[in-house]
Amino acid sequence: MEPPEINWDKMQSIIDQHRGEKWGLIPLLQEIQEEFGYIPPTAIEPVAKALNLFPSQVQGVITFYAGFALKPKGKYVLKVCRGTACHVKGSRSIIRLMQKELNLKEGETSADYQFTLETVACLGACFLAPTMLVNRSYFGKLAPARVTSLLDHYRKSKEDKTK
Amino acid sequence: MERLQSIGQLEWFRNKILARSKTARTVVYVCITGCRAYGAAAVKEALEEEVKRQGLAGQVEVRGTGCHGFCAKAPVIAIDPLGVQYQEVSPEDAIDIVAETLKNNRLIDRLAYRDPGTLQPVFYLNQIPFYKKQVKRVLTRCGRIDPTQIEHYLAAGGYQAFAKTLSKLTPAEVIAEITASKLRGRGGAGFATGIKWKFTREAAGHPKYIVCNADEGDPGAFMDRAVLEGDPHVVLEGMSIGAYAIGAEVGYIYVREEYPIAIEHLTIALAQSKKLGLLGENILGTGFNFDISLKKGSGAFVCGEETALMASIEGQRGMPRARPPFPAQSGIDQKPTNINNVETWANVSMIITNGAGWYSQVGTANSKGTKIFSLAGKVNNTGLVEVPIGATIKDVVFDIGGGIPMGRAFKAVQMGGPSGGCVPKEYLDMPIDYDTLQRIGAIMGSGGMVVMDENNCMVEIARFFLSFTQSESCGKCAPCRLGTTQLHEILTRITLGRGKLQDLETIRELGQTITEASLCGLGQTCSKPALSTLKYFTKEYEDHILEQRCAGATCDTMVISACQHACPAGIDVPNYVAAIAEGDYEKAVDIIRERNPFPAVCGRICIHPCEFKCRRGELDAPVAIRSLKRFASEWFFKNRGPKRKPYPVTKKEKIAVVGAGPAGLTCAYFLSKMGYQTRVFEAQAIGGGMLGIAVPEFRLPRQVIEDEIEFIKNCGVEISYNSPIDVNHTVNDLLAEGYSAVFIAPGAQASIRTGIPGEDETLVRLYYGLRFLSYVRTGGNIQLTGKVLVIGGGNVAIDAARTALRVGASDVQIFYRRTREEMPAWQKDVEEALEEGIVLNFHWAPKQILQKDRKITGMEFIRSRTVYDDDGRARLSVDEKTIQTVDADAVIIAIGQAPDASFLSRDSQIERSLWGSLEVDKNKLSTNIPGIFSGGDFITGPSTVIQAIASGRRAAIAIDKYLQGDQSRVEIFDEKTETPLAAGLALEDEAAKDQQRVGVDFEHPQDRIKDFREVEKGYAFNEDAAREAKRCLRCDLERERR
Repeated sequence: MEPPEINWDKMQSIIDQHRGEKWGLIPLLQEIQEEFGYIPPTAIEPVAKALNLFPSQVQGVITFYAGFALKPKGKYVLKVCRGTACHVKGSRSIIRLMQKELNLKEGETSADYQFTLETVACLGACFLAPTMLVNRSYFGKLAPARVTSLLDHYRKSKEDKTK
Repeated sequence: MERLQSIGQLEWFRNKILARSKTARTVVYVCITGCRAYGAAAVKEALEEEVKRQGLAGQVEVRGTGCHGFCAKAPVIAIDPLGVQYQEVSPEDAIDIVAETLKNNRLIDRLAYRDPGTLQPVFYLNQIPFYKKQVKRVLTRCGRIDPTQIEHYLAAGGYQAFAKTLSKLTPAEVIAEITASKLRGRGGAGFATGIKWKFTREAAGHPKYIVCNADEGDPGAFMDRAVLEGDPHVVLEGMSIGAYAIGAEVGYIYVREEYPIAIEHLTIALAQSKKLGLLGENILGTGFNFDISLKKGSGAFVCGEETALMASIEGQRGMPRARPPFPAQSGIDQKPTNINNVETWANVSMIITNGAGWYSQVGTANSKGTKIFSLAGKVNNTGLVEVPIGATIKDVVFDIGGGIPMGRAFKAVQMGGPSGGCVPKEYLDMPIDYDTLQRIGAIMGSGGMVVMDENNCMVEIARFFLSFTQSESCGKCAPCRLGTTQLHEILTRITLGRGKLQDLETIRELGQTITEASLCGLGQTCSKPALSTLKYFTKEYEDHILEQRCAGATCDTMVISACQHACPAGIDVPNYVAAIAEGDYEKAVDIIRERNPFPAVCGRICIHPCEFKCRRGELDAPVAIRSLKRFASEWFFKNRGPKRKPYPVTKKEKIAVVGAGPAGLTCAYFLSKMGYQTRVFEAQAIGGGMLGIAVPEFRLPRQVIEDEIEFIKNCGVEISYNSPIDVNHTVNDLLAEGYSAVFIAPGAQASIRTGIPGEDETLVRLYYGLRFLSYVRTGGNIQLTGKVLVIGGGNVAIDAARTALRVGASDVQIFYRRTREEMPAWQKDVEEALEEGIVLNFHWAPKQILQKDRKITGMEFIRSRTVYDDDGRARLSVDEKTIQTVDADAVIIAIGQAPDASFLSRDSQIERSLWGSLEVDKNKLSTNIPGIFSGGDFITGPSTVIQAIASGRRAAIAIDKYLQGDQSRVEIFDEKTETPLAAGLALEDEAAKDQQRVGVDFEHPQDRIKDFREVEKGYAFNEDAAREAKRCLRCDLERERR
């Protein structure tokens, strides 16, 4: 499967909104990331031009922050927390289970662009350890059975990406 | 909402809001921030619908709020004016809540907090233990107001401080007040806030910037998140006051993108503030300009460091720079900038409103006010707590936090995230303060407190933190970039079983270098977790390296299953449990005997370290491994008996063992199995050692010991009774008689004296625990009457007390000088003793024994407790003024046993240890004389049966190596049994997943004290044992499955 096509008109309008903005690189990149799920490498030059920066500077910022991706992600981005509290409560085995169930290593996206598996350093929901985010939804107190049923749910679901 | 043009208009607006909200009505506060992850949004919706449906729409307000603090019980709701809190609420509960509580003031049991001790419901918020010791200042509105409505904040008195600032205070006065309050930065560094503001004010440059550091990146910390989500305006107001004091016009809140709800609520709050004119130009007509915008982080922990944060605001890579210049002089855009943490800003308005004097009523000498902590990890009541600075760690973890789940032992609490250190149990009484914790190598930090228990590995925790800091290191400076990688690599190697002793020194040196040479706070503090765990848990590191042992049983390469790893003898537990599940009891006992020739004894009295580590125990209750062992061994002796063919003698050497206790007999058994001839010399007329003379009949029937010893004898071990090794027959004599090696294991049999006045052994009715027990055990006739007093807290004390009841005492009381948790005795026995009517008195140390006419009349005690000094060493502190005098007819002193080496001849060359035993090599149990080994209680002091057995097997392996001329170390690593069973048990059996632990029966307490019948019964039926065995998760198969 191919990743979704980029709507270049939308891209252009986002870039235009931040044109010439002082210190505007990160907010601009954040909007692109939010809208398209990643930052297409071909967007680097137009972004640089709009903010009067060198493309290398733009590339440098993209690669520094974990929140920016140069490759498209899946429909469901699964972020398993590996923070201290979750770790202490057994997040490692949850991560291993998910790697096995999805046949993905950390940071990888499935071939059909359905799932991306990532780990995060801390979601701040420590009281619910172990936790994970599926796009914007939190799931806490994870146990192996719950994880498998969640994955099944998302595999079958035809829901909107933002849920 | 119209733009307010003056302070007067603000107050007019506030009055109108207050008037509107004065309608006396019921409010249901539903947390929809943190609890949202547990379905709180649906709970709120259901409540709103029910309120409407049941016709209460005009009288009841259902309000979405921020965090209530008790996150462990999410979703949480509170109801005023009742003052009630309901926990773990689901949408289906809405009907009852509205119909019963809202309509009729009837409280619902099932939704209330349950006191873990009394199991009674606690409905009222101010009575729930979690809240009792908290002082909510910063969080006072959180959980009460709707954070998306500025009117709520105004109604609660918000922006009064700001109005006061603008109209009545000069900037210098504001700074003076903040300085006088002794408010210190809550982000972790603890710099005096007022002084920082002063520096920024005095610096030259325009415009000046105000920044709120909301990048809370510490894993385990979520205090700032709750404030931002639940009461965002308190932060905005603090920043506005700060901006006024410093002379700044531009404000930024740098919030991490991983906090979407905080971003949402902040965005709403900023919009509402701007709309009302509380932010922007000419605020409230005073001519003061200040505006705040939101900047989102993009997933870089290092951007919590102030210089990296400022770089990020400027759209650059978030890399720190050297300081000076400090942000106060040169920050954003090289202009003076004041950066403070969310919680610091949240403290400002209350100081201005109430004054520094009020503020400093709470706290310690150098640090005033309260601190919010996020309590997480292995603790019952996870959530957010706000306590005065100076509250002790014990207050937070145990009184508020409710202690460790499943009754496990506390190990350490990590404070301050990856920049902090761990605090072990010796420092639980330490007050939490910026300065106190630094002395022990920890920091208070931003407030994250992650609790760890006995099943966590401290080496692995250090590795975990290093993997985090290594991946978050910006890479700019070599010490951090290379140092974190090196430290992480070393720690990883150790957890993989490839560590070297040299590594420990390397970690210390490397850690210090990284700290001294790094550019920013991330590098300067990243080695703290490794250094502090290494300091307080050195043995764990050493054990990983030398013995391939992991105290938490988590490091995969050295642990097959946690239970087997926890067993000192390394028995292959999952396999014998699987054998029992399949009904093959003989095979189960064979598997046990690969490491332990006393399955029946251990089935009764082992303290089962395996069960404490059992992973099933994380779900509901551990597998009853000990009871299963008992069941299998009982079947074995009933159906197979102790007869067996002796092991063939294949080697020419003979070995002598001194002492037919568990250590000695185990050693002899394994030597025999290896083909050696062995003879055990026992001073008493019967075998078993402590088992035989000290453990009472009602815990371990004599017949059980006899059967086990008979089996061992039948294996080829020869035992000579009434054959003491002493001045008449020395160890040297044994060597001369042709024994190639000697294993000395006579146990710890000397009773320790108290040394107090009146301790005269010739007094009538004064006994020492061990002697008392052995006398009764070996058939002696003691009849006690009346009141018996027992001093001590170990197993001997408990056993002596219970035995005293059975030989005639009408009343028995035990006096122990420390707490119940500190008692060395097995908790199971303590509970059984309590059931039998024995009274336990704690915190009483013996002072004097009273007598009249050479007969005991009573004792005097003084108040005592354990205190820890600054170095973490424990000592007993007594209060001479508090004395208790009790009458007694007999006193049993059972304060401990010690090894007694006096039986060894005086000219023996064997090196003695400082405390009366022998010096041995820990790995080979060898003494300084080649061929002489020693182990068991004699070397370690009183320990457990399974430790003695493990010691005996180690000695056998060591002796075998010695006789073969093999000088290599004894390596006792976890190994699978020769014929493993592959049954999946609980994972594959649907019914087993929900099966509760199958209990065993006990004799009734009032009946059983009449005689010495066995107190605990085993499983009666094969089906019970099979059901229990099937609960096992077969953690050992995980390897193969992966």
